[in-house]
Amino acid sequence: MASISIKSVWKYYGDTPAVKDLNLECLDGEFVCILGPSGCGKSSTMRMLAGLEHITAGDILFNDKRINDLPPKDRNLAMVFENYALYPHKSVYDNMANALKIQKVDKATIDKKVKWAAELLELSPLLDRKPLELSGGQKQRCAIGRAIVREPELFLFDEPIAHLDAKLRAHMRSELKIMQRRLKTTMIYVTHDQLEALSMADRIAVMRDGVLQQVGTPSEIYNQPANQWVAGFIGEPAMNFLDCSLTESNGHLHLSHNAFSFALNAEHIAKLNGSAKEHSQVHMGIRPEHVTISARATPEHPIKGEVLVTELLGGDLLVEANVNDTRVTIKTDPDYIADMGDTCYLGMDTSRWHLFERESGVSLI
Amino acid sequence: MATLEAVQYKSRTRTLVTVFTTIFLIVYLIWTLAPFLIMFVSSFKDLLEAFTLPEIGDFAGMGVFFEFTPTTKHYTELFTERNFSVYFINSVIVSTGSALVSVVLGAMAAYALSRIDFKGKDHVFFWIISTRMAPVVAVMVPLYAIFRNLDLVGTIPGLILAYTTFNLPFAIWILKGFFDNVPYAIEEAAMVDGRTRFGAFMEILPLAAPGIGAFIVLCILFSWNDFLFASIIGSGGAKTLPVATRELVTPTSIQWGKIMAAGVITSLPMTLLGLLIRKYLVTGLTMGAVKE
Repeated sequence: MASISIKSVWKYYGDTPAVKDLNLECLDGEFVCILGPSGCGKSSTMRMLAGLEHITAGDILFNDKRINDLPPKDRNLAMVFENYALYPHKSVYDNMANALKIQKVDKATIDKKVKWAAELLELSPLLDRKPLELSGGQKQRCAIGRAIVREPELFLFDEPIAHLDAKLRAHMRSELKIMQRRLKTTMIYVTHDQLEALSMADRIAVMRDGVLQQVGTPSEIYNQPANQWVAGFIGEPAMNFLDCSLTESNGHLHLSHNAFSFALNAEHIAKLNGSAKEHSQVHMGIRPEHVTISARATPEHPIKGEVLVTELLGGDLLVEANVNDTRVTIKTDPDYIADMGDTCYLGMDTSRWHLFERESGVSLI
Repeated sequence: MATLEAVQYKSRTRTLVTVFTTIFLIVYLIWTLAPFLIMFVSSFKDLLEAFTLPEIGDFAGMGVFFEFTPTTKHYTELFTERNFSVYFINSVIVSTGSALVSVVLGAMAAYALSRIDFKGKDHVFFWIISTRMAPVVAVMVPLYAIFRNLDLVGTIPGLILAYTTFNLPFAIWILKGFFDNVPYAIEEAAMVDGRTRFGAFMEILPLAAPGIGAFIVLCILFSWNDFLFASIIGSGGAKTLPVATRELVTPTSIQWGKIMAAGVITSLPMTLLGLLIRKYLVTGLTMGAVKE
């Protein structure tokens, strides 16, 4: 198995930079997701790892060995492509056996390995079929089979389940995770779907416009986003952002919005560590599940608002409310009944909020 | 999904059009197939019988055409006296040789043009096909001069080279369309699987097989039927069937029976080849043309 280390890697297409000064470590046997919107450089990164694109500057090391100038065939990795890229003229069996045939592995071993992979992926009855005769999920499993029979040092998965329907995708998420844990092969998985990244990865690397934003465990990324962009990108429905400023009165630092004002406690001030001064313009970020809603004003629900719309999502209810011309999304349980235009009162879990500098988006708390 | 069937409604014009189309097609079939029938039948006739024709307008006398004692003497004479076996082999070698050279070079050139972006690619691509725009006759004299200086006139390699200059641009144009239709990801998958760059190209060749097959047939047809190149550049040592047939017309006599037999010998292999790969030829040529 391999540990991967990407050191100050740049990728230019002509004059356009796609990946800017990327530094990323991936431990032996780790499942790392590279997450970002389209055009963020995640696929370019993967293609550089595979050897399908030249590295403009910087180094990529596999087990401390520089692989920049190795052709793909000498990197001992297997890749699953977004569009599967199966050989249309070969059967499922031959698609999976191809890499081993190229390595001149003897027939009995090839047969054993292909049958093992087919068993694992429930492809055994389909081995004689051509890719054209397979459904999307079967094609995808065949592509994964082609990767795992080789027992490579590194798996590269490029949005492999993006084209499956929602139910199958959810199933494949857990399957892939189980498979990776069982094989203990280092895996780099590129996706734009935060749900895939949060549910499968050991660590997530979030990228935007070719720049790495944050690397961390799913819970770190979700609970302690490094900046406002990551906070807004991760989480569904997205985090609420409210224009606030820091003010001081009676010797206490307050977070003031045009609809409310909270005194910051000692813990908040310690976290701020003097980085935000009085009158600083900030964004307060709070996830919809950390906002509570009530029809009546109570000490826990001091902020007055107006219901704009409600959306029932089965087990949850989303309420969109207008608080002094700021839209706030609240995730609550479906027992809450409200009509458009009703007055509502909101409460915020002050231990779960985030503060971001308004100009730079850097996380303060 | 729309069906491919054109919706048609009955009307008087429609019926008239159908009747005229049918009549036209019958006439057209007679027009195209009759010469072959006459050629085939006459090749088994003696000279006297071959020219026994009914009076004009005497349709009842048509039977005269089929009243003859079959003879294979024209065929045997062609092979025993006229060396037709040599010419036949020449034709086979020259046409398949040129087709193979064109397809090997053409596939590689077409692949490069399909996959690699470089400055002036469009110009190169146009220049390649522009070599086919001049009529063959126009380039014949300079080509002959060049071939004579290189001692290629009258040799089989010379004739193969001559046909290749004409087949290669065609190969590149047809095959590029096929490679354009193969997703690049398949080659990338092959490279990750352990193939070299060239190995990846070989891996996808089966996907262009219908195109390659169709193209080989068209190449063979062109070289097999060609008279101009064969008579000028191949004259002497590399005589092919059409040229040998032409030589049956001598200042003193026209040997009709042998000419008919030679015609059968020349056209029969190509007809069989056409029937054999008809299916591939059609899918092959349309597949490259239509982007999916």
